[in-house]
Amino acid sequence: MFEAETKRLHELVKAVLPELDGIVGWEQGFDALHATPVFVSREEDVHRLMWSPLCVHNLSGYLVKTPPFLPREEGRKVGICVKGCDSRSLVALEQEKFISREKLYIFGLPCEGTVDWRRVMKKIPLRGVSAVRREGTDLKVEDARGVHSLPWEESLARRCLRCAHPNPLVSDVLVRDPVEPRMKKEDVYGLVGELEQQSLEERLAFWSAQLDRCIRCYACRNACPLCVCQDRCIVETRDPKWLTQKMGTSEKFMFHMIHSVHLAGRCTECGECERVCPMEIPVTLMKEKLNQVTRELLDYEAGIDPEAVPPLLTFNPDEHQM
Amino acid sequence: MTEGNSVLAKAREIKIIGFLCNWCSYGGADTAGVCRFKQPTDLRIVRIPCTGRMDPLFAAKSLIYGIDGVLVSGCHPKDCHYAVGNLYARRRLEVLKHFLPFMGIDGRRFHYTWVSASEGQLWQKTVTEFSDRIHRLGPNPGLSRT
Repeated sequence: MFEAETKRLHELVKAVLPELDGIVGWEQGFDALHATPVFVSREEDVHRLMWSPLCVHNLSGYLVKTPPFLPREEGRKVGICVKGCDSRSLVALEQEKFISREKLYIFGLPCEGTVDWRRVMKKIPLRGVSAVRREGTDLKVEDARGVHSLPWEESLARRCLRCAHPNPLVSDVLVRDPVEPRMKKEDVYGLVGELEQQSLEERLAFWSAQLDRCIRCYACRNACPLCVCQDRCIVETRDPKWLTQKMGTSEKFMFHMIHSVHLAGRCTECGECERVCPMEIPVTLMKEKLNQVTRELLDYEAGIDPEAVPPLLTFNPDEHQM
Repeated sequence: MTEGNSVLAKAREIKIIGFLCNWCSYGGADTAGVCRFKQPTDLRIVRIPCTGRMDPLFAAKSLIYGIDGVLVSGCHPKDCHYAVGNLYARRRLEVLKHFLPFMGIDGRRFHYTWVSASEGQLWQKTVTEFSDRIHRLGPNPGLSRT
């Protein structure tokens, strides 16, 4: 799938690889339905890189999480492959001075949506996937029992169905032509609105039931490119002690409250937290609401302008609406 | 397991936490006391150095763990002892106020306001009104009942 784009990516990478201290991208995972992140620094490994709608991971976290993937010497660069959503995370990290643009060589990948393998597996229980391809409006998956077909739209991740920024906002080179956004940025908070139709009690019941399933594996936090506190995360520190190891919904609820509030006005809605959640809790939804609030109150959208300051890290003495 | 099982749950008294800035509202509450203004007794005051120290999660945690109301009060905007602490706080607390109802927590249980050290009367009014509001809302249903 997407052989032409993959080939183009190989060409572009080969052209600049000598100037880079390595590049992070995606390669084929354990089966045809999965991709996995890969670090490439030698020319003979470039063929491992791929680009397809199965490249779901937001790789920008690798630049800031221990050990950070950064150039070894002054004046050098590292390469990174980003989709539209991932590029917003890069912008947000640059705003907060965690990375600097001149240390990066960004391969931008305009993206028409990524495949959510769990959604596919729910519709068609698959065994030993050997090939995946897109044919017109269908996703064709080949496994041990034959070829299965699924409407393309039904295979996409929720974050992609509400995508307003499919094209990278920052990049040194684009691997393919820009694509049309699926949604206008005014319309992306549809699910937030739906939940708000419910009463307060129903919403509490909804979140209690959803968050009660949380196993506190912290995968959402670990996958989040903007959760940068690392081993100082207050979810795990004993001093200050915010959470205990007690069972019960309150601790889980509080954990997600911490994660969400710390991302208020910073979250770029890449949807990684929701993708990695083993319990399939819609955790991005909380951050979507906070982003909607910061947009309405403070007229700010995260990860767009590298010069802007996230609104909760600054103030304006003259705002009287509050 | 409930602690102190000889007390009926519905008989528990209303608990309100007040996060007050050291320089203005804490002084304001003190002024109200010195002037012997009658005040509700539901409020437990936590003194903070500045509303800029007020992590919105203090309020969130209180409400999640069953406190019935959270009141935050500090210096008036532009009168902060540390110049700008309450301006940061204003944004953060306003965002939290809009976020709580989405999670199913009644936004009316959370209130932030500005009271200076000389405004004993305003403090009495603020705390009386907030306490009345929480009494009308009743105990926080919290997470256990759902």
